[in-house]
Amino acid sequence: MKPMLSTELNTPDAVVDKAKIEVKNLNFYYGQSKALKDISLSLPERSVTAFIGPSGCGKSTLLRVFNRIYELYPKQTADGQVLLDGQNILDRSQDLNLLRTKIGMVFQKPTPFPMSIYENIAFGVRLYEKLSKAEMDGRVEQALKRAALWTEVKDKLNASGLSLSGGQQQRLCIARTVAVKPEVILLDEPASALDPLSTAKIEELIDELQADYTIVIVTHNMQQAARVSRQTAFMYLGELIEFDRTEKIFTSPREKRTQDYITGRFG
Amino acid sequence: MTIVSEATPSSDSMRSRDATVRRFALTDTVFRESTRFSAILVLLILGGVAISLFAGSWEALSKFGFSFLTTESWNPVTENFGALSPIYGTIVTSGIAILIAVPIGIGIAVFLTELCPRPLRRPIGIAVELLAGIPSIIYGIWGLFVFAPFLQTTIQPFIINLFHDVPGLSSLFAGPPYGIGLLTSSLILAIMVLPFITSITKDVFDTVPAVLKESAYGIGCTTWEVTRRVVIPYTRVGIMGGVMLGLGRALGETMAVTFVIGNAHRISASLFAPATTISATIANEFTEADGSLYTSSLVALGLILFVITFIILAIARYMLMRIDARTGA
Amino acid sequence: MSTASSLHHSRKRKNSVMMVLCVVAAGIGLAWLALILGALIYKGLSGLSLAVFTEMTPPPGDAGGLLNAIYGSVVMTVIGVVVGTPIGVLAGTYMAEYGRFSRLTTIVRFINDILLSAPSIIIGLFVYELMVRPMGHFSAIAGAVALAILVIPVVVRTTEDMLNLVPNALREAGTAIGAPRWVVIRSVAYRAALSGIVTGILLSIARISGETAPLLFTALNNQFWSSNLNAPMASLPVTIFQFALSPYEEWQQLAWTGALIITLTVLGLSIFARSLTGRREDR
Repeated sequence: MKPMLSTELNTPDAVVDKAKIEVKNLNFYYGQSKALKDISLSLPERSVTAFIGPSGCGKSTLLRVFNRIYELYPKQTADGQVLLDGQNILDRSQDLNLLRTKIGMVFQKPTPFPMSIYENIAFGVRLYEKLSKAEMDGRVEQALKRAALWTEVKDKLNASGLSLSGGQQQRLCIARTVAVKPEVILLDEPASALDPLSTAKIEELIDELQADYTIVIVTHNMQQAARVSRQTAFMYLGELIEFDRTEKIFTSPREKRTQDYITGRFG
Repeated sequence: MTIVSEATPSSDSMRSRDATVRRFALTDTVFRESTRFSAILVLLILGGVAISLFAGSWEALSKFGFSFLTTESWNPVTENFGALSPIYGTIVTSGIAILIAVPIGIGIAVFLTELCPRPLRRPIGIAVELLAGIPSIIYGIWGLFVFAPFLQTTIQPFIINLFHDVPGLSSLFAGPPYGIGLLTSSLILAIMVLPFITSITKDVFDTVPAVLKESAYGIGCTTWEVTRRVVIPYTRVGIMGGVMLGLGRALGETMAVTFVIGNAHRISASLFAPATTISATIANEFTEADGSLYTSSLVALGLILFVITFIILAIARYMLMRIDARTGA
Repeated sequence: MSTASSLHHSRKRKNSVMMVLCVVAAGIGLAWLALILGALIYKGLSGLSLAVFTEMTPPPGDAGGLLNAIYGSVVMTVIGVVVGTPIGVLAGTYMAEYGRFSRLTTIVRFINDILLSAPSIIIGLFVYELMVRPMGHFSAIAGAVALAILVIPVVVRTTEDMLNLVPNALREAGTAIGAPRWVVIRSVAYRAALSGIVTGILLSIARISGETAPLLFTALNNQFWSSNLNAPMASLPVTIFQFALSPYEEWQQLAWTGALIITLTVLGLSIFARSLTGRREDR
């Protein structure tokens, strides 16, 4: 018996917070092929939501809709609605650069820009704000502290961002994202290329950041989803199978496919 | 307090943000359109070349018509011009150059990919590519003052004597030994296109999957058999592309040939005889041409060269694109 | 058994012969490079003196230098590069960035590759029809335009190739921070591809500084000092051409010396350019 995607299912019962992002009947296409099928869910403000599922299930695709980064490529289209604070960001009139200042993103592989550590952070800030040297220094410091990187790099801010270790690079990317003061942070498997120690640091960071930001994380690591998120969405073959409080998903999922996945029977 | 202000920018900064957004939209459009215009400019240049050559050669083409291609005579005094001997010279010199350069070029590529000790690979590869970097006028001056006298005094008399009573070959290598002429030009062209053929052949050799070579070695093939039966068949299209590219270069090469071809508007059977090519004729005569028909005839030669090289280069690119598509997939 | 072993021997013998021939081929290539460089140094070095760089090209039978020709070459090369490089970089940028998936890019790439190998004398004829004929006289600026047209395809090709090597993840990261496309290109993609693009520009300089054919009937030549861009201007390659084919010994000597100067410049530039990308690959 196929369950209806009722509102009850799409809004975790225990979560009464205001919704930051609401997705309504979202479809996504790579050319002709449909990668997301009629997705509806709502993400509460200032908490961590995890998307899990086997590779190719559409979890990254869904994440890439939120800041419309897919627009870099031709033949990728979305229809339906994605409301950010009630405003449809899929609207043609939505300015993409402005959208991306509100919704930051951190990628699977660390992507420091080919410039100094300081410039990596100042670069994004300078785009939209005119700050004095002192203000900018303060902002860079604040961002690096927020990403728990300050003590490690404060003496070599002029070194290339590429000179850092993988874990440090990823925290630099988080600092860079935080520095432009977004409202939402999207994390696309942010720890999958890192060693366990760096992974733990990143997870700790995510936990701290949720006080101020709405965070969406895509991960193939179920333990990670269980550790960091408040609610979890399980996706399979482009469909949203189940969305609920994280402990509910991992202890008593409603759907057999969810249970099969989290117990490791496939994926 | 600090936390709230950190996440939500004030309305003041939001307003300046909107202005920035509008400015970005404008600058991005300006930049995008200027890159697009530059890309289109590349097309316009080629279009401009075609149109200007056609317009410039109109007078000659309308006067002589198709016979321009089949007439050997080139007489500025009687204003009677035919392109046959430059076309002949161009095709013969380039053809011989390719026949010489292809085996040597493939040999060097095999040497570099299969035989050369690893530390020497890059220096020798660069040295061969430097041959391509030497300006063509240097080949010309070297050909005229060093290479041609050497051929004239040693090789050419020897060959003439060797074949002087062999039917066929005796007229192909008929004297006197001028030093300059068709064969000398061909040899210089062969040196000049060698690096192009070598580097492209080496590149396509590198696209052969290692597992393919290994499985051939695994059944006991020698290096030559692997090259002959596996590597060359697998990369045939790419090698042909490189050869065509070299041919395109040879056909249009100007200065080196101008020095050593001898600039004679006639077709002779002997490879030792002075001749001319399309580009050498233009280089030698253009600034001295008086009368619009003379100039127009020279531009018409340019048009013929343009059409020939365009076709050859288009075929070359098409073949190389097929190799690229395969390795990309 | 014996036939199998003789077959084996003949196969091995054939292999040895072919491999020796391949070594010989490589030897021929290197020998030719050595012969040409050797002749250049032998013939050119003896005429190399300070006068070459301080005196004008002489009338037949006199001693002199190549100052005006060197000056003209530098002026026209610089203008050619300054005009051609931005167009080439922008066009390459379109192909690798804004228009990466567009039909226009496929066409431009094809046409650009043809321009890249097109005979340079054809470009000379084109600029003659485009500028010299309408203006009524030969000029340095026409020569510079011809050189610019030769620069463009080289720079387009390397810019596109180098930008294509920049990982998309870097572009996405720049975009995700709210930077408009052109800022991402300028501050992220260009930076990442910088050494490669500079290599392309250096190679294009190396190419045009030895070009003769496109200057023959655009800039023509000038036996005297001229800095007037609207008048004929001397250049090193055209001067070499004229002097080498002359019957005068002084002129021929100057031609050899000029040839040595050009070759050293061009080879120096190409080796320097390659060392830039070489370091890049090592990293």
